This record gives sequence, structure tokens and C-alpha cells, in this order.
Amino acid sequence: MAESGAPATVYFDHAATSWPKPDAVLDAMRAAILDAGGNPGRGAHRLAVAASRTILEARGSVSKLLCVPEPRDLVFTAGCTEGLNLAIKGLLRPGDRVVVSSMEHNAVARPLNMLAAAGVIVDVVRADQYGRIDADVLERVVAQSRTRAVICQHASNVTGSIQPVGDLADIAHAAGALLIVDGAQGAGHMRVDIGALGADVYASSGHKGLLGPQGVGVLYLSPEIEPEELKQGGSGGNSEDPMQPRLRPDRYEAGTSNTPGIAGLGAAARYLAHNGTGIIRLERDLTARMYEGLLGIDGLRVLGPPPGEERAPVLSVVHERIECDRIAFELDRNYGIAVRAGLHCAPWAHESVGTLESGALRFGIGYGLTAEDVDFALAAMRAICG
Amino acid sequence: MSSPQRRPYVVFGFASTHDALSGEAALVAAGLQLTVMPTPKTLGALCGIALRLAEEDVSLAEETLTRAGVAWSGQVRILDR
Repeated sequence: MAESGAPATVYFDHAATSWPKPDAVLDAMRAAILDAGGNPGRGAHRLAVAASRTILEARGSVSKLLCVPEPRDLVFTAGCTEGLNLAIKGLLRPGDRVVVSSMEHNAVARPLNMLAAAGVIVDVVRADQYGRIDADVLERVVAQSRTRAVICQHASNVTGSIQPVGDLADIAHAAGALLIVDGAQGAGHMRVDIGALGADVYASSGHKGLLGPQGVGVLYLSPEIEPEELKQGGSGGNSEDPMQPRLRPDRYEAGTSNTPGIAGLGAAARYLAHNGTGIIRLERDLTARMYEGLLGIDGLRVLGPPPGEERAPVLSVVHERIECDRIAFELDRNYGIAVRAGLHCAPWAHESVGTLESGALRFGIGYGLTAEDVDFALAAMRAICG
Repeated sequence: MSSPQRRPYVVFGFASTHDALSGEAALVAAGLQLTVMPTPKTLGALCGIALRLAEEDVSLAEETLTRAGVAWSGQVRILDR
């Protein structure tokens, strides 16, 4: 329960999860529970078939939004982390070499650290001071030795840097390697055309820029690759087969699916199909407005690309005297402004831009915010940092 | 009350629910009438869903599914009400 007299929430933590959600998402989740409450793919009664249709429709809607040529290549997961774990652990074997950016989230770093202990060779390409990966530098590292995969985020959850994933796909493929993209901060915040991007794997959360509920994510797997599945179990069909069926998407979706979550994500995708361009434009404008305002506050360093350069709607700052957790606490308690302080589950990225010791205060901009909210947050920052 | 006459139908089986429902969507869009039903054992599987169509619609259904890129795993003719 909120404390008495607590200010209304002004939500600047979209890089962690979007809030609020479009009404259509809530409506779809409610309808899935009420009207499609059977187990999808299990049985042929009306509620089971309705649940299956809900998932088929959602898979089609998300595939259309992300320009996935064949919907069966889009797998629903419990989130971006699960998708990345599936791809990384399903594709890499002891002795394989992987080239990875230094800006990666722990959803990539921790699986790789585990695999490194098992004999996978992990070579890290360091980002520049703005958190950007230079494609030429990465190409030289790839050329040093036979490479199984290149792994890079689409955009940084710390600096907002957008990485040149299209170029990286060309570099990886020219070397006979795969490209695995962590799209957690990409999908929904920028137009994503998976077909054109050339990535062999693209994983994303469903609950960030895609505006769906928590507990659901998407994983694109090129039809050319066959990663081992992360889990085996019931798939609703071919039950007499002692092994996991190799058909997509069943192979990678063992167990009962999160039908309400998937329904919500499908509705979010349809909402974005109609409103996404406007949301992306608004996020870009608000980010530029906030960036300009933050630059005018004494003692603040803004991480990431310089003004005028395209970036994801993420603005992280470090104050020369005041610790970021202190600022976050005051913003929340006195102004109702929700931000995230710390390392953002991305120690590699913070080390790359020199903030591993201090952490940073992150404003994640997104759906539902206004120019007035940005001005309010800037005024609060001036008052706290002044 | 007399029971309805048994009529010939053809049941299409699919390798997965995704295929069956993709097929359903394509067939409905083509104006065909169908019924979703449990996969009959004679199609070689004991679970999953299948699509039942009137026998006279089979050629158009095959054409529609092929055009939509949906493969069926088998067909069986049944008499049903």
C-alpha cells in the first residue's frame, strides 16, 4: 500500500519493464483466462482449441511486427534471458570460439562465463567510451581465429548505444559464424526487421519496448540452425515419440505455455502495429529533451553517445558527488519518480564506460511519458543535485 | 426422433497444432466449412487435433493448404453425422 500522501508515480524505468500497459493487453489477458482457458495444444475441446488459436494468432502478430518471414521460427519463451540461454547453450560446444561485445547484459555474460569454464573460448571486443562497438574492430577479432558465433546486443540497457548489428551479421557470416542478437532494448523502441537484419538469432523480452506482460519473451531462430532445446517435455503431439519432436515451434516450447502472457503480447504487437511509429517518434523526442536538460545540470555526466547521435531511449547519469542510489531514493520518495540505480545487471557494460565502481542512475523513457513528465524529472534532478 | 444420415468426410491430420490451426485459418479464409476434432487413431497418432471436411471439398482443401504452405501428415475417410 502506498504511504499516505505519497506522490503519484512518474515512471522512468521502461528499460527494466514498461508500465503502464495498453488496455488492449489487459483485455486480451483477461479474455485468454476467461474464454480460452484450456491447455493449448492439449486436447481438441473448445477451450483447448481456443487457447491454441490465441497462441497462433499472437505468434502471427508478433512475427508480422518484427518482420519474421515464417512464424514457426518465432518461439515464445519466458523472457529474453531464457531465449538467450537457449541459443547460447544450444549452439555452443566445448572448443567453439565466440566473439562477444563488452556491453552485454548478464543474460549473455553469465551463460558465457559458465560455458567458458566448460571449454568454450570467449573473446570480448571492448566498446568505445560511448558504449559503441566498432564493427571494424570486431571484424579484426573475428578474423584472428575460427569463430562459431558473434554475440551482440541491439542496444545497450546502460548507455542507450545502438550497435551496428546489420554490419555484424555480414562480418559473422563472411567468417562462417552465426550472429546472436540480444534485442531486449531494441524491439519496440526501434523498428526491427528480423528478415532484413540477417541475424541468425534474435531474442527479446516481451515486456519492455514490446509492451506485453512480464513472463513472456520471443526468440527468433533462423531456419538454417538447429540449436539443442533447453528443456524436453510434453508438446501436445507426437506423444509416442520418446524424444523431443524436432518440429518448430513445438521443439522449443515444451510444457504448458503461458497463454495469458502470450495473448497479452500478441495484443501489444497489434497495438504497436498501429501506434508503434508514433511511440518511437515520441520516445526519440523525449529522450532528446531529457538529454539536453541533463547536460545543463552541474556535476552530472551523461553516459552513451553524444547529443545528436541516434540512441535507444535510455539515459544513464553519474553525479560527481552524490551517489546514484541516493538520488534514486529521493526521486522516488519525494517526487514519485521511478528510476533504476546501480549496475543494471550489466557489469561488463559499466566496466566498459568506467562506471563499475559508481554504478549509474538510469532514466528509461517509454510509452505513457510526456514532455511535462520529462520537465518534472529535470526540475527534480536540479533540486536534488543543486 | 430419427438420427441424421451418416455422410462421408475426410479428416486431415497434421504434425503439430501449429500446422493444424494454420491450416484451419487458410481453409476458413477460402470459404471452406470444417470441424476441428481429435486426431483419429487411424491417422497414426493418439493426440493432437485434426480437421474434418466434407468429401467433396477435399481437392479445394488440398489446393488451399498447399498454397498456404501448410503440410498435412495424412488423410482418412470416415462416415460421420
